[in-house]
Amino acid sequence: MSKYTLTVNGQSHSVDVTPDTPLLWVLRDSLGLVGTKYGCGIGECGACTVHLNGTPTRACQTPISDVGHSAVTTVEGLDPAGKHPLQQAWCELDVPQCGYCQAGQLMTASALLKRTPHPNDADIDRAMAGNLCRCNSYVRIRAGIKRAAELAAGSATLQGGRS
Amino acid sequence: MKRHLDSSAPVDRRAFIKVSALAGGGLLVGTYLRFGATAALAETVGGEAADFTPNAFIRITSSGAISIVAPNSEMGQGIKTSLPMIVAEELDVPLPQVTIVQGDLNPVYGRQMSVGSMSTPTNFAPLRRAGATARAMLIDAAAQTWGVPSGECATDAGAVIHAASKRRATYGELATKAAALTPPANVPLKASKDFKLLGTRVPGVDNQKVVTGAPLFGIDVKLPGMLYAIYAKCPVFGGTVVSANLDEVKKRPGVRDAFVLDGIKGLTPGVAIVADSTWNAFSAGDFLKVTWNEGPVATQSSAEMARQAEQLAKATPPAPAPAGAKVVEAAYHYPFLAHATLEPQNCTALFKNGVMEMWTPTQIPASGQGLVVGGLGLEPDRVVVHITRLGGGFGRRGSNEYSLEAAAIAKKLEGTPVKLMWRREDDFAHDNYRSNGWHYFTAGLDGAGKVVALHDAFVKMQGGPGDMNASGFPFIAIPGSEVKSSKLPPGIPTGYWRAPGDNGNVWATQCFVDELAHAAGRDPLAFTLDLLAAVPATGGRGFDPAKMTAVLKRATEKAGWGKSRPRGEGQGFAITHTNNAYVAIVADVTVSRDGELAIKKLTSVVDAGTIINLSAAENQIQGAMQDGISAAWFQKLTIEKGAAAQANFSDYRMLRMNHSPPVVDVEFVKSDAPPTGLGEPGLPAAAPAVCNAIFAATGIRVRTLPIADSSLKWS
Repeated sequence: MSKYTLTVNGQSHSVDVTPDTPLLWVLRDSLGLVGTKYGCGIGECGACTVHLNGTPTRACQTPISDVGHSAVTTVEGLDPAGKHPLQQAWCELDVPQCGYCQAGQLMTASALLKRTPHPNDADIDRAMAGNLCRCNSYVRIRAGIKRAAELAAGSATLQGGRS
Repeated sequence: MKRHLDSSAPVDRRAFIKVSALAGGGLLVGTYLRFGATAALAETVGGEAADFTPNAFIRITSSGAISIVAPNSEMGQGIKTSLPMIVAEELDVPLPQVTIVQGDLNPVYGRQMSVGSMSTPTNFAPLRRAGATARAMLIDAAAQTWGVPSGECATDAGAVIHAASKRRATYGELATKAAALTPPANVPLKASKDFKLLGTRVPGVDNQKVVTGAPLFGIDVKLPGMLYAIYAKCPVFGGTVVSANLDEVKKRPGVRDAFVLDGIKGLTPGVAIVADSTWNAFSAGDFLKVTWNEGPVATQSSAEMARQAEQLAKATPPAPAPAGAKVVEAAYHYPFLAHATLEPQNCTALFKNGVMEMWTPTQIPASGQGLVVGGLGLEPDRVVVHITRLGGGFGRRGSNEYSLEAAAIAKKLEGTPVKLMWRREDDFAHDNYRSNGWHYFTAGLDGAGKVVALHDAFVKMQGGPGDMNASGFPFIAIPGSEVKSSKLPPGIPTGYWRAPGDNGNVWATQCFVDELAHAAGRDPLAFTLDLLAAVPATGGRGFDPAKMTAVLKRATEKAGWGKSRPRGEGQGFAITHTNNAYVAIVADVTVSRDGELAIKKLTSVVDAGTIINLSAAENQIQGAMQDGISAAWFQKLTIEKGAAAQANFSDYRMLRMNHSPPVVDVEFVKSDAPPTGLGEPGLPAAAPAVCNAIFAATGIRVRTLPIADSSLKWS
């Protein structure tokens, strides 16, 4: 066991774990941040996607010993009020089915929007292909990203829900 | 199982009210609390005496708080939102005023199984009565208070109003008085034209929690002092433990215990490793060495099954074709599929004071309770099941063997909560797979291109769902047609996978009908419409050919069926009658010369009776269609030496965003009929629509799944 200090969502935490423990399980078991999900353990499904210094990263493939001073952002820290344009769009368009993959989808999509504020279908295909949605909610994930881009640009007002 | 349940069967109203009174009287509260269950459970069925609890589903406090219980498991089908919508509609209260509470396993809630697309059809009538009865009692309470006839009172948005005297009282103000009234009998239900909530788009009640990463799922459960466990089983089905290096495993970091479990009824023998974190349990698992007794299944393989299937099919040959008929033969095969719910199987259990308390993502909570009762010798009232959100179901979470595994481990660690976590590799290795299947079709066409004979030699694994007979379409359209069913020896566990039976059989039959149309030199649409016209009005399994015809005509009209298209572009359609719903799907595809498939558009028309929540309904149909395509295009679970050959998403491919069709259109037929199932009907016709479109584009007929195993190159 070894002691590590890491910064998650702007807060400093100290943990005492084995050096090969993936960031995923430090977040979930040690820090109680369970929004980041375990799906495959080999970086194939994207459910564990977090940001390391703003870059989407597979937390299941990141040993705690590699995190160092990187700023870790999880879905819990995506927006202080839970009102990131993507989160608003996801609720407005009722994107989730089971919802298990959505933290990873949101973290990947938020990095995409930062890089490409108005992504087209090809941009979305490229950026999101690493995130499996077992419920196949891809139509609404795609629509949600486009809606969030509108909301972020202030070109649209939020609807309470489609009717 | 899905077809034998009659969704329109009347519910015994007296039994329902009797059960309700039981809940209101607090008897169950006492029973459970005596054994030390949690406050959450007490909150569900408990409360103050002055609260209005006309039945187990509704609670209205005198301070005006209204809560409605969602009795079934939320796994993405939207049931935690849609079932309370039904109550709220009849209670006449806006959903935002209501707190929705996930019900635990409890007999007062009636049928809590979330399988066979039956949650809505079976709960529709009783939940409407629950809401309407409560509303009638609140009206009576107001009428008595005001000294006016009940018939002069109406309700609006959580209040009773008396228009003539302009009086208004909220449900909260009336709750104490209503609680003292006797539930009336035979309360009328709303006419569907008066629905305010049903049929509208209501976003999922837990969406905000989902998008902010709040704990919801089984895997998110955390209890004070909880330990984490894995459970290793023999990769070969039916294998048992001979010995294991438990002493070495116990020395690994964070490991608290390691032991063999065997001799428990219903439990597959294996090795449990218990540690202080999930990762330490997983890591110790890498050091586990077990000598297994693999048993007889070790000789089974997918390749050998294919050889056996061919022999079995040959043993059930067709009758000679009618004189002069053109004979068309084709063999179709679909493989085993894994469920691969994105949340691997898990369950948290605590055994304390003789009570086993479990938090489990399950589609059939009562089956988990039953396994624990049978395996560990506990009485049913000592086994408490809390239903968590499920990270996908698809039929996987009905079997509950993971609940028994968790309970068996927790029983050994009395007083300590334990979360059993399956690794993804455990999940692929120990699924109840969708059975593989083979269809050897032989058909006869007469000189006019009419089908005069149809024989299907069908083979699947013994056990599990998915059997075939000649009572479905197209067999019922062809007099004398037959299905001869044969079974491969058991050994590989198979089970319910979204739209059981139809998920493979509709693919095979709908592709073969398309083949017959082309063999007859006819337009597949006209050919299928003629077959539907030949179905007797009282067809098999409640099949209504008029409804099927209507959705097919509408879908093909919307999709522009019949236009000529250049080589490499194609359109195909397929139909299905699944869970009493009627679905037609048209697929538009392109196939490049080097064989690259792209699905450009799916157009679907669905007759599923009354739609409860339009948003969830549309999401279900869109998701189910793509689920069907994901399975048909990429997925294949193969058995080698009695074990699963695929272990993770690296070798078990599934549909991703870049292959997902950009346009997926869903239209529901306007209907006042009772709701049918909706979680499954969107799936079966999607894959055959795509395969028929591939044929139209390329002339290549895909007869073996997955599509990705076939070359689609053309020139």
